[in-house]
Amino acid sequence: MSAQKCDCSEKLVAWLDGELSIDEAAYLEQHLAACLECGTKVDAYKKVSVAVQAYWHAATTSGTHRAAPLRVLPYVGAAAAAAAMAFFLLRPHPRPFEPAVQPAPATSSVVAVPDAKPASPPSPHIKPVRVRHSTESPQSLQTNSPPTESAVQIAIPAEALFPQGAVPQGVAFVADLSIAPDGSPQRLHLEPQLIQFERSR
Amino acid sequence: MYRELRKPLLRYLVCLGLSSDEAQDVVQDAFLSLHHHLAAGGSQENIRSWLFRVAHNQARNRQNRYDRRFAAPLEDRENLISDQTTPERAVLDKEKFQQMAKAIRLLTASEQECVFLRAGGLRYREIGEVLGMSTSTVSDTVSRAIKKLAEKFK
Repeated sequence: MSAQKCDCSEKLVAWLDGELSIDEAAYLEQHLAACLECGTKVDAYKKVSVAVQAYWHAATTSGTHRAAPLRVLPYVGAAAAAAAMAFFLLRPHPRPFEPAVQPAPATSSVVAVPDAKPASPPSPHIKPVRVRHSTESPQSLQTNSPPTESAVQIAIPAEALFPQGAVPQGVAFVADLSIAPDGSPQRLHLEPQLIQFERSR
Repeated sequence: MYRELRKPLLRYLVCLGLSSDEAQDVVQDAFLSLHHHLAAGGSQENIRSWLFRVAHNQARNRQNRYDRRFAAPLEDRENLISDQTTPERAVLDKEKFQQMAKAIRLLTASEQECVFLRAGGLRYREIGEVLGMSTSTVSDTVSRAIKKLAEKFK
């Protein structure tokens, strides 16, 4: 039987895949028990099917893993850039209306930029400086929409920008600044505000 | 359903030669189409093959549009496989992977599609629905493809 070419070999793959009818499968299994050639073929097909499966698996595990982290980076980058920009824009700016304020030393290392609750009442030791775009919706960091119509508020503790004691108690600054689509600052306006006034708003 | 079918769809598309970004786009589009399809009162039967068919057609459209060589992305990926394993295993896996990639590239387009859909766990009937063939043609095609591959791996 093994010498002669049996038509069963056409159905071996379908049998492996469970695609034969019950009758066909039963017939083939009977045949397999007797035909050495078909038995060898089935083993080879099984092996190759496993290899294809492995290939199919390997083909995408690397691809999907690589794509994921890239999606996060723009946001992190944007947040970091905004924080850095706010810090550098605010620090060296002269404040003619507040003679007691000294520019921070260039080595000032701790920059705390709390990312939430800019409107919460400040503690007695923290004088928030708010950085604003021209309008009020706080969304520009989350999306890639044009920055012209959006605004963001960042509260920076005064201690991070000025030496201890340089800013009198009860005074906060609001910095209005516009950022052009290319990321450059267009307008910076610092305005001192009493914290009492901020609270009552 | 999204969770269950997303990965197999991605795999199929990448095997067809799409980049992983393109594949993700196509899968998103396919699920969006499914949403519209169901919202418009479309048939809820054979959703799996429905999704594969939509994804398959989109993938083929993209490939035609960019007139891309079918196997090019597979070659790129051959270098990625060695990343997570030990050197010896990596060499082995990479060798096997390249062998398999080469052997699969020698198959006809429809043989490749059948083999990949089969690897994705689709039944012959479903493969037929995706590719627009009869079940018996699928059976013949799969059988022929596996035989060819088995020849290479003797």
